[in-house]
Formats: sequence, structure tokens, C-alpha cells
Amino acid sequence: MQPALERAGHTIRRGTTARMNAATSAENTQADLADVARVLAGEVAAFEGIVRRWQGPLINMAWRYCRDRSRAEELAQEAFLRAWRGLSRWRQESSFSTWLFALAANVYRTELKRFPTETLPLDAAPEPAGLATQHNELAAQLSQDAVRRAVLALPLRYREPLVLFYFHEMDLAAAARTLGMPEGTLKARLSRARTLLRQRFPQLKEEHGARKVFTLETGKEAAR
Amino acid sequence: MNRAKTDRGEAEHTRIETEIGQILAGEEELLPSSGFAASVMERVRQEAALPAPIPFPWKRAIPLLLLACGGIVWSTVELVRLGVPGLNLTTLGQSAQSWLTISLPPLSAVQLRSLEQAGWVALALGTSLVSWLVSRRLAGRGGLL
Repeated sequence: MQPALERAGHTIRRGTTARMNAATSAENTQADLADVARVLAGEVAAFEGIVRRWQGPLINMAWRYCRDRSRAEELAQEAFLRAWRGLSRWRQESSFSTWLFALAANVYRTELKRFPTETLPLDAAPEPAGLATQHNELAAQLSQDAVRRAVLALPLRYREPLVLFYFHEMDLAAAARTLGMPEGTLKARLSRARTLLRQRFPQLKEEHGARKVFTLETGKEAAR
Repeated sequence: MNRAKTDRGEAEHTRIETEIGQILAGEEELLPSSGFAASVMERVRQEAALPAPIPFPWKRAIPLLLLACGGIVWSTVELVRLGVPGLNLTTLGQSAQSWLTISLPPLSAVQLRSLEQAGWVALALGTSLVSWLVSRRLAGRGGLL
């Protein structure tokens, strides 16, 4: 069981890999097909099954786009509404998840262009760790947050491939399908995005100790 | 010496990129708030309860659009012909003139001018009437059409 933290009504779980495993299961595919058929036949309540199955992935995808928990839910809600309106346009040439992720990426991109995210909300600040590990954990958390925020500052053409690549747990093909671009193009953009991040954090260093600590210019004081 | 330095630099770049990759891959996962699915379904039900949007009546609109386009083209030709006397000799002007000459009995220049003005007024009134009727029809109040 993963440790869970409650923050402002939201729960976060660290390091879970359940996100895309559920998405790829045959069970989900069958359930999606059945629910879509029922919705198209006029049974509105059947859409709830789709929402319950995909709310986690869609909120997490939105979270990676904006790093704001409330906004992530708003964006995911908008994506579900668009999916509801456009359900009859899903031709079943691709899997339902591919169609849904592509639609959601489109919604997030459009919405964030209209109202860009500028600041990280206060509740994203790291929580204090235990006394013995407080310094190291805080420093690590600060530097990890800095890297994640730096992703948001990348130009969209590099940010989106990076966000979706890691959202899809480094599945290049899945990220390419969501973006509707060839894998080669995605690879090139990922490489460029990594280079830009590396240039942004040239001082990212690994210190030796009980655990890895990343020191950045901004995190140095906390680390020492 | 330089080669070793370059290799060290590349290794360092790779290591930094790997570390960045690890940070991004080891992302915390957000769990949806308890009321999320319910609030989405509420909005979906609201949308489902709304009457279906009226589809655009293309079948009726296309002839009208074609008519309007034809009218615009014809009036442009006429405006150009009247505004620039030299263009009276252009093919389009000639064909329009020849059409008028063929279909109408011989008229004096003054009569032709009056007829043309009356034609414009009739066209304007006709367009207004058609647009009024179409808008009534689209608004679902029935009507003459």
C-alpha cells in the first residue's frame, strides 16, 4: 500500500506505476466499448463508468501540464465534457484511451494557451520530513520541484512531448499517438527538451550520502 | 587530454539528463477528489437535458447563398461598368448590355437608366423580403415559405 498524503482535499501518491497499467488492460477496453455503445444509445448514466475509469489518468495528465491541483481537475472536467459531446466521432480506429488522451491533450493545450499558468500554488511546497532527514529531503524536494517547474517554462513544442513521454511512462509510441506526430519527430523534440533542461541546470550534482541529494543554485542553502 | 575532457563532459551531460529523467519519471500521482466524478456527471446531465442544437439548414441555405453570390458578382460588374466608362467595352459589360438589348424592347437611354434604377430598388426590396422570411422560418414561427 502506498503512503498517501492529504493536501487541500486532494490525495497524492508517490511513485505509483498503476497509472498506465490500468489504461492498457483488456478489461478496460471492453468496458469502454460497452459504455460508449450505451451512451450512444442514449443512456447518459453509462458515461459515469468512463469518468470513473479515466478520471485518474486525465487529472494526472492535466496536473503535468499545469502543476495546479484545482486547475487540473477543471481541465480534466472540460476534457470529459468534450469527450461526451464528441463521443460519436470516435471511429474505433484507435483505442478509446488513445482517442481520449489526444482529445484531452488538445483541450489542455488550448485552455492553457488561453489562460497560462504563471505561478506554482502554495500547497505544492514540500512538507517537512522527519527531524533526521529533514535537510536532505527538503533539498531534494526543492530541486525536484525546480526541475518540474522548469519543464513548464520550456517552449510548448518541447514541453508537451516531455510531459506526455513521462506521463505515458516513457512509452514513445503512446506519447506519439497522443500528440499525433511521428515517433522520430517526438524523439528529436525530447532530445532538444532534455538539452534545454540540462543547460538550465548545469549545476545539478549528485552528492554522496544516505540518499541522493540534488543541489541547485536555489537549493544550496537548504542543502547545507 | 582534450579527448578525455570531452568524454568526461559528455558523460556528465548524460548523467544530468538521466537525473532529470528520473525526477520527471518519479512524479507524484494525484488522486481525484471524491466529488470529481459526480460533478462531471452533473454537468453531463445538464448538457444532456438541453434541447439538441438546431442543425444549419444547408439545403435551403445553399440556393440562397448562390443567389446572393450571383447578385454580388452582378452588382460588382455593374458598379465597375457604371463607375468606369472605359470598361463599357469589356466582355462582361458587353454581354450584359447585349442581354438587356435582346430581352427588352428598344428604349431610350433615359428610359433605360430609369429602368435600371427601378431594378436596383426592386432587388433591394426583394432581398429584404427574402431575408425576413428566411429568418422567420429559421426561428420556427412558420410563415409564408
